[in-house]
Amino acid sequence: MKILVAEDDRLSRMMLEKSLDKAGYEVISVNNGALALAALEADDPPRLALLDWVMPEKDGVEVCREVRAHRNRAYTYFILLSSKESKKEIVQGLEAGADDYLTKPYDEEELKARLRAGERILELEDHLVEARESMRFQATHDALTSLWNRGVIEELLGREIQRSRREKSCTVVMLCDVDHFKSVNDEFGHSTGDDVLRELARRLRNSVRSYDMVGRFGGEEFLVILNKCDPGSAPARAENIRLSVAKKPFPTRSKPLPVTISVGVALSTDFEGHSADDVLGKADNALYEAKGAGRNCVRVAHPAPTNSAPNEAPPREPASLATS
Amino acid sequence: MRDKPVTTVVEPQSPRSSSPAWNLQELLTNLEDDRAFLGELLEVYLRDSQTSLQEAKDAIVRKDLTVVERRAHTLKGMMRNLMMNAVAQLASDLETAAREGNADDSSRLLPQLERAMSELLPEVDAQIAEART
Repeated sequence: MKILVAEDDRLSRMMLEKSLDKAGYEVISVNNGALALAALEADDPPRLALLDWVMPEKDGVEVCREVRAHRNRAYTYFILLSSKESKKEIVQGLEAGADDYLTKPYDEEELKARLRAGERILELEDHLVEARESMRFQATHDALTSLWNRGVIEELLGREIQRSRREKSCTVVMLCDVDHFKSVNDEFGHSTGDDVLRELARRLRNSVRSYDMVGRFGGEEFLVILNKCDPGSAPARAENIRLSVAKKPFPTRSKPLPVTISVGVALSTDFEGHSADDVLGKADNALYEAKGAGRNCVRVAHPAPTNSAPNEAPPREPASLATS
Repeated sequence: MRDKPVTTVVEPQSPRSSSPAWNLQELLTNLEDDRAFLGELLEVYLRDSQTSLQEAKDAIVRKDLTVVERRAHTLKGMMRNLMMNAVAQLASDLETAAREGNADDSSRLLPQLERAMSELLPEVDAQIAEART
């Protein structure tokens, strides 16, 4: 573990370095407070710091105070070393943010034991952060497929449509629904059904780019958002996605199963001035068409006529066939 | 027939015996007998202590007790680190005298400190030499 030693007395610094190095620490040593602060504000800073109180540039207490003021960084465990002995000064050090305080001359074994106590605190912090990140993930992702959950993917859709309007780019909205999913569950059981959904999520993720998004929209429905997509290639991309599902059977715990999806597509550029919900609605209509056309196919929503107001629903038209 | 020897052999004093002014054994134990490292530390001590001592002497002449206090403080720290406890005490006394503005005591203590430091010099040199082997 990295440890910062800030001590202006050269002999003291050498002896501390040697002792800590022997104890297995990676020692970064400086001889004044300004350098100490710089080391603590760098990337991947040491999380343990031994600061002498009296130092040139900034003293140990000031360094503590300044680091504690930047609360959005990972925790640094500070031990102040000083020849100052009065209770008042010890209290001052602790109130400035030091975690512990040793008066010189200190016992080396005691110092190392206190450092180990500091490491336990840091471990605690690591566990907490891990738990928080895990909960954050669970709150935003679908448990079965690890895709974005419905709430999040809908919000992302709103954001991306807004952005594409601003940047004058095209966002392609795709709703994908597993064909005859109910019969998979009925015939082979829900666990097999889960296997199908997991494999589908995997194939969808692999078919899109790193800046595209895939979310679980419903029980067997998935929303794919293609950002900055060339409108001309949208039908081909949708078809690729459909093919990635249909071309090979899905491995499941029962047996390999052929699976297909129906895909409804809507392009943001075909519906200028329409809300994200509207565009999603168009994709949904197109999905309905795809189901009606026999499933395992892609349908793209027709663009809105340019003279229709956003609130005026254009007459329901059959969606176009995707070129294969 | 050979005469019996008439001289007695005088054992050289082992350089490892710790003089009262310097707890060398304790220091070595703390350093886990790392003689090479001890040598490094002592070389730093030699240089830095001479510098601090000279600056204190210059400061006494111009009656700058603040500087005397600071240099005495530095010397005290160095000596305590190296377990030169008796000498460290002298440095501490000088620091206190200077802090209290006592020019007379300071002037008296500084040469004592200097003398005590030079008394340790042979042993310091010996340790440095031994570290180099």
